[in-house]
Amino acid sequence: MRYLMTARSTETTPAPDEKLFTEMAAFVEEMTAAGILLATGGLAPEGVRLVSRGDELTVTDGPFAEAKEAVAGFALVEVGSKEEAVELARRFRRIVGDGESIVQQVFGP
Amino acid sequence: MVSAVWKLESARITAALVRLVRDVGAAEELAQDAMVAALEQWPAAGIPDNPAAWLTTVARRRAVDRIRRAEREERRQAVLARELETTEPGDGRRGGTDEGDGDEPADILRLLLLTCHPSLPTQARIALTLRLLGGLTPEEIARDLLLDTTTVTRRIAEGKRLLALQRVDFTAAPAPEELGERIGAALEVVYLVFNEGYAATSGEDLIRPDLCLTALRLGRLLARLAPREPEAQALVALMELQASRQAARTGPDGEPVQLHEQNRGRWDPLLIRRGFEAMLRARDLLAARRSTGERAGQPGPYLLQAAIAVCHAQAPTAEETDWLQIAALYQALAHLLPTPVVQLNRAVAVGRAHGPQAGLDLVDALHLEPTLQDYHLLPSVRADLLLRLGRTAEAQTEFRRAAGLTRNDAERTFLLRRADVLGIATSGPELGAAADAFLAQAGLDASSRRSYAQTLRRLRTGLGDTAALAQVTADQIARVFHTAWGEAAPATWNRHRAALRSFCAWAGHAALADAVPRRTAPATAHRSAPTGPELRALLRDLAIPARDRALWRVLLESGATVTAVLALDVEDLDLPRDRARSGRAFVCWRPETTLLVSELTERRARGPLFLSARRPAPARTPADAADLCPETGRRRLSYERAEFLFKQASRRIDPAGRGFTLRVLRTGT
Repeated sequence: MRYLMTARSTETTPAPDEKLFTEMAAFVEEMTAAGILLATGGLAPEGVRLVSRGDELTVTDGPFAEAKEAVAGFALVEVGSKEEAVELARRFRRIVGDGESIVQQVFGP
Repeated sequence: MVSAVWKLESARITAALVRLVRDVGAAEELAQDAMVAALEQWPAAGIPDNPAAWLTTVARRRAVDRIRRAEREERRQAVLARELETTEPGDGRRGGTDEGDGDEPADILRLLLLTCHPSLPTQARIALTLRLLGGLTPEEIARDLLLDTTTVTRRIAEGKRLLALQRVDFTAAPAPEELGERIGAALEVVYLVFNEGYAATSGEDLIRPDLCLTALRLGRLLARLAPREPEAQALVALMELQASRQAARTGPDGEPVQLHEQNRGRWDPLLIRRGFEAMLRARDLLAARRSTGERAGQPGPYLLQAAIAVCHAQAPTAEETDWLQIAALYQALAHLLPTPVVQLNRAVAVGRAHGPQAGLDLVDALHLEPTLQDYHLLPSVRADLLLRLGRTAEAQTEFRRAAGLTRNDAERTFLLRRADVLGIATSGPELGAAADAFLAQAGLDASSRRSYAQTLRRLRTGLGDTAALAQVTADQIARVFHTAWGEAAPATWNRHRAALRSFCAWAGHAALADAVPRRTAPATAHRSAPTGPELRALLRDLAIPARDRALWRVLLESGATVTAVLALDVEDLDLPRDRARSGRAFVCWRPETTLLVSELTERRARGPLFLSARRPAPARTPADAADLCPETGRRRLSYERAEFLFKQASRRIDPAGRGFTLRVLRTGT
């Protein structure tokens, strides 16, 4: 089963440093080689927001006011159980420090 | 939570423990203890910061305790001496940190090659690999393989027991010349696990995704540990590409959907991409091998199968599939793996590439293959080809025959539907109904009825229950007979023939009664070689002296000449590697034979390995001193004597009662 993990920064999230990059690269490499990590990436803070209401579609360019709550990165993983997904998210959080992650199961394709 | 950490980490924890305690069984126990400790402590103390490291540390601490205890008991001093000698100087970190040794990948590879050891029965290899490297509990393995837990536990125990007998070196890698073969054995186990999950042979579900996932993880692990092995990468590619079609392989009612009818939009693009990436790595490795002129520069069976899967994945629609390329790949594969199932797949590809008649010719060549006589895909492939040739009536019969053979409910419904769509009304009585009526006759006694039923059952599965009796031909009957009883004794053949004649006479089809001739002489001339099971029984007979059994097993397993094996000296032996030096080459045997060979060398450091039983009379002392054992004064076993002894012993497995020559061992049955 697949899970999508999204990470958000909070006020106390430290700025990434060299050590974090090295550890993260090793983690990503290991998980990819193990066949667990299917896709991952960081997300730009700016973006385009589309809101539809009735026949009306509003398109707004970011950045947005609540930038701190925007998703900063994601990882799509293939695991055997929700607990495995949570354990991976736990390892990820240990590397990046303060902040929050959300783990959701992905259905389909 | 504990079990999730365990699934992710068990391979490396157990592998490190195996190296520490040098015993697979003990390592598994220690790992289990650590897991139990976690189950006890984590709920109260909270989950540790780094659960994997916690488990490793606890397990290692217990391993060290165990070794120290053993030391106090002075039972394992030798082991410890080796332990200190090999690990202390270069590995000062041991015990000091929570991290694994630098040698971790080597440990895991060694464990994987061990659990996939060719000397273990296949079922034990699968169970042990899932247990120790997949981190599955016996209950989980039982559920995945549709077995009961007791069976799984027994297989695991058997595997550990056999491994303990091997006296394997738990710290060294296999010899380079052996490594390729051992990796091949591990790949085989991984693919067996995958197929069990991907093409569930029985049960309700067609696919068991958990097992596929475990196999993919093991495959990726192996590919990472053996990064220079193209076949390891190719197997990963093959599994990723097959798994990418998982969602499209079953329809809304759970029925199978054939490849060319699958909705390609449901193929998983992520897995396809990963399959392609693995395939590129495999090709690069192979190209690198070729450019350095290494042996094994030819594509292996997994690479060819992955290449076929790539062809399918690259085709935007079924119609655009490059069947010419696929047919060519199957031809190469059939050359490496000439199994009936590969031949059948090749026939499908050829049927697409070069027209249905070409495919049908290949299928019909397989018709006499006994291993395929109950395989539903043979008639179903044949039906497809007949249909494309416009031979609708025959196609309908074959679809029904296939439906009668499959064990999967969804598939049976599907095949019957295909037959019904053709809408040809059968004229006259059908084979199945006629056979039932024949067997229900009042005049038959119970034993004839049983015997006739056996013959007719074979005929029904071979021709299909719904085949119109009036359209059955003598050729079809002869084919069923040859496939089913071609190798049987004349008496068996004639019994079935009598049943056939009786049925034909009753049904008013006298012409068919002569479809098969009576057999008088043995079906084949005197056998020049015994069968594998007969030989193995002989080699296991403890009433035969160990020397003779050792000689025969070495001949059988090494394929070396009789002269070369008899010429071996004790000094030539390399028992830890299950081989002996013979000139510039090696005579190699299976690990379990090493036990037997080592019995022959007891207390001898030199001289001929295989000795005659008696001391020679002074007048018959051999001219060549090398043929005399300096320690026992006995002579090297002669070819003539060895030949005589084997002939004597093999008489009982030779129907002609003459016994066989040693050469039959060499040709390997």
